[in-house]
Order: sequence, then C-alpha cells, then structure tokens
Amino acid sequence: MKDKKKGHNTKVSTTGGVLSPSKLLLSHLICGIGLASSFWLAINVYSINLIDSPTETLRLVWLIEVPVVILIYSLFRKDKNQSSYLKAVARGLLGLPIGAIINALGAIALGAPIGTQYFQRTLSWSLLMSAFTFVPAACVYGSSWIDWQQTFVHTKLIGIIDYMICLPAHGAVIGAWFGAWPMPLDWERTWQEWPICVTYGAIFGEIKLKGKKRSQKSE
Amino acid sequence: MGVHGVLLCVTSPLCCHTTLHQWFPPHKNRTSTLQSLFTVDRIVIIVLDALRIDFVAPSTFFEEKKPWMDKLQVLHKLASDPESAARIFKAIADPPTTSLQRLKGLTTGGLPTFIDIGNSFGAPAIVEDNLIHQLVANGKRIVMMGDDTWTQLFPNHFNKSYPYPSFNVKDLDTVDNGCISHLVPTLYDDDWDVVIAHFLGVDHAGHIFGVDSAQMIEKLEQYNEQLEKVVEVLQSQSAKGGLHENTLLLVMGDHGQTINGDHGGGTPEEVETSIFAMSLKKPPLPIPSEFDASSCKLDLLGRKVCVSSIQQLDFAATVSALLGIPFPYGSIGGVNPMLYGLVAGTWKNLEEGLSQQKVKEWMQNYAKVLCVNSWQVKRYIDVYTASSVIGFSIDDLKHVEEMYAKAVNTCFLSSVAELARTKFTEFNLRTMGIGFGILFMSIFVHLLFIVKVDRVHKDVFAPNETSPVSFALIVSCVLVAARACSFLSNSYILEEGKMTSFLLGSLGVLSLRHSIMRKKMILEATTFILIISILRFTIELNLSKQGSNEVLDSKMYVADVAPLLPLIILAYMLYKSIASCKWVLKLVITGSIFSYILVALHWILESNLSNMTHPIFDVIKGNVIPRVIYIMGIAQLLSLVVFRFFEEVERAKWGETTMMKGVAMLSSWSSTLMILSGRQGPWIALALVVGGWMISRLKGLEEDQKNAKIGVLACYSSSVTQWSLFGSCLFFCTGHWCAFDGLRYAAAFVGFDEFTIIPQAILLTIETYGFSHILPTLGLPFLVAYNYNSSIKPKQTPHSLIQLFQVYLIYGLIMAITTTFTVLCVIIQRRHLMVWGLFAPKFVFDVVGLILTDVLICLSSLFYFVQT
Repeated sequence: MKDKKKGHNTKVSTTGGVLSPSKLLLSHLICGIGLASSFWLAINVYSINLIDSPTETLRLVWLIEVPVVILIYSLFRKDKNQSSYLKAVARGLLGLPIGAIINALGAIALGAPIGTQYFQRTLSWSLLMSAFTFVPAACVYGSSWIDWQQTFVHTKLIGIIDYMICLPAHGAVIGAWFGAWPMPLDWERTWQEWPICVTYGAIFGEIKLKGKKRSQKSE
Repeated sequence: MGVHGVLLCVTSPLCCHTTLHQWFPPHKNRTSTLQSLFTVDRIVIIVLDALRIDFVAPSTFFEEKKPWMDKLQVLHKLASDPESAARIFKAIADPPTTSLQRLKGLTTGGLPTFIDIGNSFGAPAIVEDNLIHQLVANGKRIVMMGDDTWTQLFPNHFNKSYPYPSFNVKDLDTVDNGCISHLVPTLYDDDWDVVIAHFLGVDHAGHIFGVDSAQMIEKLEQYNEQLEKVVEVLQSQSAKGGLHENTLLLVMGDHGQTINGDHGGGTPEEVETSIFAMSLKKPPLPIPSEFDASSCKLDLLGRKVCVSSIQQLDFAATVSALLGIPFPYGSIGGVNPMLYGLVAGTWKNLEEGLSQQKVKEWMQNYAKVLCVNSWQVKRYIDVYTASSVIGFSIDDLKHVEEMYAKAVNTCFLSSVAELARTKFTEFNLRTMGIGFGILFMSIFVHLLFIVKVDRVHKDVFAPNETSPVSFALIVSCVLVAARACSFLSNSYILEEGKMTSFLLGSLGVLSLRHSIMRKKMILEATTFILIISILRFTIELNLSKQGSNEVLDSKMYVADVAPLLPLIILAYMLYKSIASCKWVLKLVITGSIFSYILVALHWILESNLSNMTHPIFDVIKGNVIPRVIYIMGIAQLLSLVVFRFFEEVERAKWGETTMMKGVAMLSSWSSTLMILSGRQGPWIALALVVGGWMISRLKGLEEDQKNAKIGVLACYSSSVTQWSLFGSCLFFCTGHWCAFDGLRYAAAFVGFDEFTIIPQAILLTIETYGFSHILPTLGLPFLVAYNYNSSIKPKQTPHSLIQLFQVYLIYGLIMAITTTFTVLCVIIQRRHLMVWGLFAPKFVFDVVGLILTDVLICLSSLFYFVQT
C-alpha cells in the first residue's frame, strides 16, 4: 500500500525549532506507549483483539493514537512564529480525514476489498495509517507544500524533525505493502484477512524505522 | 537482427514435459477363473457427458434444492424400488476432467498422463490395453452411438457405430438425436453384447448456458423420457429366455461440471459424477453388510433412495469382472463390491437355496475375483517398477508387497490405487532438466545482450551518461523477481490476477510519486492508477463469476448499447490519426473503422434491441459479418506486409512512421479481437489504448531527466515492466484464467458453425491471448516512438532502433523469467496434489504465451526495424 502524500499551496518556511535528542526520544516513547497502551486496553479491558474483532480494535487504537500524535507533533510545528499550538492541533485534526482518504484510495487501488462488510475495517485502518503518515506532517508542516515535497518526494531530510516524520511514515507504508503479501496464501487463518496483517506490517515498519532513526541520532 | 532471431528461437523449444512411455507386452491372464465367474451377458452403457451427481441423486442429499435437481425421476423410481436391483453411485473421477481423459481412464482403468490434456482436441487412438480391446479380443460385439471421440479412440473396435461430431458446443441436439434414433431399435436386436450410447447435450448446454438454465432442464427432462423408454424396452424383454434376461444397464457420467458448465480441473463439482446401475435379473440379493457403504435418505416423494460411492478408476475392472473378460493390463482399479454385488442375483451357477448360503457363495466368488484382480494389479506394478527408473519408492513398494503377501485383497487394491494416484505419473526428469536448462540459458543470453546493447548505446550515443542503475530499474527488477517467485506457490497462482494488479498498482503509485517529484504529468499518473483500479475491479468481478453462474442479463438496453460507446471513441481516435500518413496506412486504418461499424452492426442485429426484419438483415445476420471482418483483418495484415517491403525509408521521420505503422497494425487486429471477445471487447480495447498511452507518456518523465544522462536500460525498465504487467492484467480482465475451463470455447464459433481444427484453434488462440500478448507485443514500439514533447529534437533513427531493440529484449526477458519460474514450479511440485488442477494448466498457458510472444517479437522486429 504505497501511497505518497500531497498537500496544498506553497509557502516558504524557515528552519524549524531546535530539537534535542532527549526530547525526541521522549516523544517517540510517548507515541509508542500510546500504541502499546491502546492494545493493552483492547485486550485486557475490552477483551477484544485485532484478529477476532479488527474493526473495534482498530477503532480503539486510532482513537488513542491520534490524540497522542497530534498533541506531541504539534509541539514541533515548524512555523512557530506564525501559528499557535492550537492551530497546529487543528491542522492535525484536518489532516486526519484527508490522509485517511488518500490511504484508503491507495489501498483500494492496490486491491483492498470493498463492500459493506469491509467498509468499517477499511475506514478504521486508513484512519490509523493516517495517524502514522499524514497527521504528523500536517501538524508540523501545515500547508507548506515545499516542506511536504522535500520530505516525502525528494527525501532530502534536513532537520531532525524531518527524519522524525519521513522515516516512520515510509516505514508504515512499506510495512503495510509487505504485510499484504501473506493475504492470498491458503493457510485459512483469520489474521490473513484484510486489514489485519496489513496493520501488523504497518505497525512493525513504523516502529522499525523509528528505532533506526533513534540509533542514528544517538551516534 | 539475426542475433535476435536466434536468441528467440532458443527460447521457444520448451520442455516437452511428460511423455510417459508405457509398453504393454501381450499377456496371459488367469482368464479361466474369470470366465467361470462372469455374471452378466449384456451391458447397455449410456454415457451422459458432464453428468453432475446432483442431476442423479435426489435433492434431499444436498443442502439446497436447485431447479436442475430431481429431473431424472425414472432413476429415483428404479433406485427406490425394492423389487429392482438398481442403485445410484457417486462416482469420483480423477482430474483432468476432460471427456477424452475420462474415456481413457474409464476404459483403461489407469490414471491419465499430463501431456494428454493438450491432445484433448485431436484424439489419438489409445495404444494401451483397455476394456474395449479386451471385449473385442474375447469375442464380444460392441455397438457405439453418439460422441465421435469413441471412434477416434477406438477406430476398429466397434461392430457398428453411429458417430456424430462432438466439438460444436453450440449444437445441443445433433448427437443426442442421433443416439435417440438408434438406441431403442438397437435394444431389440440380438447381434451385440455391449451397447455404448454417449449423449453430449448436457455438456454442451452447460458450456453455453450454464447449469442453471432452461436449456439444461429441458435436456434433463428429455433424458428422463428417453431413459424411461429404454428401461421399458429392457424390462419388457427381461423375462426368462428373453433378450434382456441377463442385462445390466449403466447410466453414467464421465465427469461433472461446475455451475458455469466448465470442467477440466479437480474441484469436487468437476470430479463428482454418477453411475446408475440396474440389473434386469430378479430378485436382487442382499449385499453383505460389511460391503454396504451407502447412505440412504428419503427423496421428495418419500421413497428411500440409497447412494453409494465408487471410484471411476474401478469401473474398468468391475465391468471386466462382470462380463468375465480379463482385466485390462494397466488397470489399477479394484472390483467394486457394491456394483459387483448388484448383479449377484444373476449368478449362473447359483441354485435355489437359503439366502445365507447365497451370500456365502457370493462372498467366495467375490473373493476369487478379487484374488485375480489383485494378482493382475500386482503384476502390473511389478512390471511398471522394473521398466521405469523413477516410479514408486522402495518403501511404498515394500508396503504393497506385504499387503499382497497377507492377501488383504480389498486393502491391497485401494492402497495401490492411492499410491498410484500420488506417484503414478512418471515425469521424465531428463527432458524436464533439458527444457529448464534451455530456458535458463535463454535468460542468460537475454541478460547478456541487454548489458551489451546498453554498453553499445552508451559508447555510441551518450558518452557522458552517468548512472547505469537507477531506482526505477531496481524496483522493476524486484517486482519482476517477486512475481516470478510467487509462482512457486499455488495460492499465488490462484490469485494471479489480483497479484499482478497489486504489483502494477505499486508501480503506478511509484510513478505518481515520481511525477510529483518532476512536477509534471500528475494527471497522467493519476489516470494510470485509475485505470489500474478499474482493471482490478474487473478482475475481481470475473473471479466471482468463476464460482457462480452469473449470466449478464442481456435484455437490458444498457448492456446492448454500452459497448457501442467505446467503439465510437476508438473509431474516432483512428479517424483523427489518419490525417498524416501514407495512403497505404490510411487505407488500412480506414478499413479498421469500417470493421468497427460492422462489429457494431453485428451486435445490434444479435441483440433483441432491433426488430429489423427486413430480408437483407436476415442475410447478413449470423456468420457473414464475422467472416467479412476476419477477411478484412487478413487483408489489412497482408497489405501492411506489402507496405513494409516497399516503403521508402525516411531516416528523419522514423518515430512518426513507426507510430503510424503501429496504429495500423494494432487496428487491423483489434476488430477481429473485439468481435471474438464479445461485448466487453471495446471496453478492454479502450482500457488498453488509454493505459498504453499513459505508460508511454510517463516514460517521458524518465527520459527527460537530466538530459538523457541515464542508460537506456534504466530508462526503459520501468515502462516495459509496467507494459508487461499491464498485459497480464488484461488477460485476467477479459475473464480468462489459467485453466482449461477458462477457455472461452464459444469464441471459436463466432462466424462458424462447423468445427474444423485449424480455424477454430486460431480463433481460440487469438481470443485467449489477443489482449494480453498479441496487442501488447505488437504495440511495444510506441514506448520508443512516442515523443511526448515536440520541442525536444527527434532522435536519430539508429538511436531509436537500438532503443527499440533493447525494449524488445527487456520484454522478452520478463516473459522468459516468469515462464521459467512456472516451469521450475511444475518440476518441483510434480507430486503435488493440485498438479493437474492448477500447475499443469498454468504451465501450458505460460508456455504457449511465451512461444507466442517470442514469435510475435520476431515478426514485429521484421516489421518495425528498417535498414539504416
């Protein structure tokens, strides 16, 4: 499920705020904890899991993950002078459905099943993917088209924050792409259904590349 | 260009896969035992082609009552009548479930070999020992009527035969009416011992209309009526001393069919057929309960009907035992106790007595028969093992040996059959190895040339070119490799259509990203992705049709009018394109536009839409229009060939001329293709044109980059990969899939009523491979010739030619790689359960596709390359 993001307009932006590695580590830790806690909640409190009830679990996961991501990434917004923290949060909220639509379209173009019984699953999945890929960028870059292009298309990464957005997003997309491969196999397992293994792939890819960046930074 | 030709010739001769050579020494059997045990005098075999089990068994045996069930009421009545010795069997056939294979299997009692499927159309005589041969050798007289496949298989065996041509699937009645007119009169004659009547109506009705259709039900009702007549005649003569005192009636199918009416594979629907057996001798003997493995249920009228199970493999042995003739030499089936026991009441040497005693005696006789049966199978297995290098493993043999020694006859027979089913087909590993080696070599040769051409190109035309490797090249390589490797698994072969569109979609998304990077042609990339999405939905729609019988409701206005719209668009595009070209090409393209009008006319006439009853329409309705279109197509191709030899080479305008030549070439194929593929044709053609155009335009992205500093290989790899994946997508999109039941036989009869092998085979090939192989291969020069930006100065001719050469090489390489992996897969999986159902058809389809592509590459090289 490879899909790359687009934004609107052009607006020159200068370098973002200075970011210390410890802050970065902390923010990732919080995102990771958010993800983990949502799964913990799903299993232990609501006693649902991704395999048996994908829609409910995915909904729970994105409901928890999205606020965490928006709140944290809004702190790192690039145009600190022009826009307030609240504005960045609003951008993130706006970016969520747009990103979800783009992810869903990409997934459907590549063969995600459609139909009423899959609609909810696809919706929840694409909202979660949006939280991994689109929302952080929307919070940080806003409507600066050049920044979007720099990060996602040219992958010319300048600041730490660029790495922080670009790598996990690519990780999630590539992970999801690889996650789709076991789907046609005839093992007759529930987890082969859309979008369970794709979600696993995306989460794995996201965490993997986050970790890679962290190790790069610590050098 | 000579190099090219040689290279491709190397690719083509493929592994001739399994030519299992079985030799059959004349044998002396323990005939005396068998002859003393024979139980019936005469057998009437009525074969109803493609008889599903649910046509015969009462609907209560199935989850749901469907309209086609419970139509053969006469069989239910007889099977439920405690006075008559009749029984319904579920017969399980071995795939491949094509008629020819099944007839071979039924008569030889062996398992089919793989290469035979290909021979299904031109049936060669059976060389192995078989039931019919044994019947003749033992002085039995056989009368055959119906399907002419029998006379092809057994040219000199029948005393009398009334064959009717079997291949025209549109014809539901000729064969059946022939059978009907001869069957009943024959039953009154006394100059035969075995009658075989092969009805084809159900098979043909299934192929054309599907199982859930009025025609099918009509056919079944007709059969019911005929069977009633036959039974009446037999029963009227079954008194002591009558003609049919000791006759066995068998009504059987050779294979089943899916709801769509297809067969050939190994799904339960296809392998489960039925045998109904009735002995005219009364009264029936109770069968010892240890052999009675039937399930009984009440039918809709409350009668108790029992259904037993039998392997089709056992048919030859059982019939041989019943008639008291030697078992066919290569038979590995066992005598089925249920079928054998059915006629137990007709023992010649059975005198009046207690039924207990009868049962005991029957048991003894059955044991004797089984003993001979086991001995025969054992001997065959021994000879087989001795004569073949790799057959059964020693462990398996030892196991069989032990069983035989213990004389557990039934166990022995069933385990031999089981073993044989997995291990029987001998694959000639050496031929396979050679074939695979050749393919592998051809890949290397391709690669070598590609690298070489790349280097030549660099030296001559672009000395300052920088990177021979680009991101796009790596991605293409990875995707092609991933696709090839996926063929090693049956699941991915099954889902190949979706897989291909997934990979194509990934490439499309990448080019969208690329176009955003270059800040242009975003629209093109988006359209391309849109086209892929549409293709993807079409593929899924076709996949769902594969399982269920979803006949499009052609009564709708929309269905009739819709295909005309893309047809008009295509014609308009052609019309626009003829503005600037030479008069020959202009003529050819105008011919295509005229053909399109004919296609439209044909469809309007065929639909219910038109009420034009004018006599002139009656004349041209039917076969005239398709034939005119075929002739036009051939004429167009011929004039293109002529044009090729007399054209004046204009070095400067190579690109333009090639474009026009390409348009003319494609358009001359397209009208034929469209009329063959039916109403979806114009849509697919439109998708092909738009998709191809987008790929060509998107290629401009790569070319433009850094003033053509990247190598030709890196430049074209992505587009050619897209092109070939796009072609494969179209294959699935047109409703084909890699199985023999995926062939659209009806297409072979557009414009023809009779079956003659050559034109029909050509039409079928064109229909199957047209959109996926023929058009993409012939259209490949567009990639090179298309100049998206007129401001860039046109390339020199030699430069373009070397690029075209490279493009064809890459295309050939991609096709060769996928086919090589399919071959590898078949070699590895040759003992796999699904080898007949899945891998073998895929193998045949891919190999034919590769050969076709290679031939077309050679031809189009001749057509497009000019002397410089």
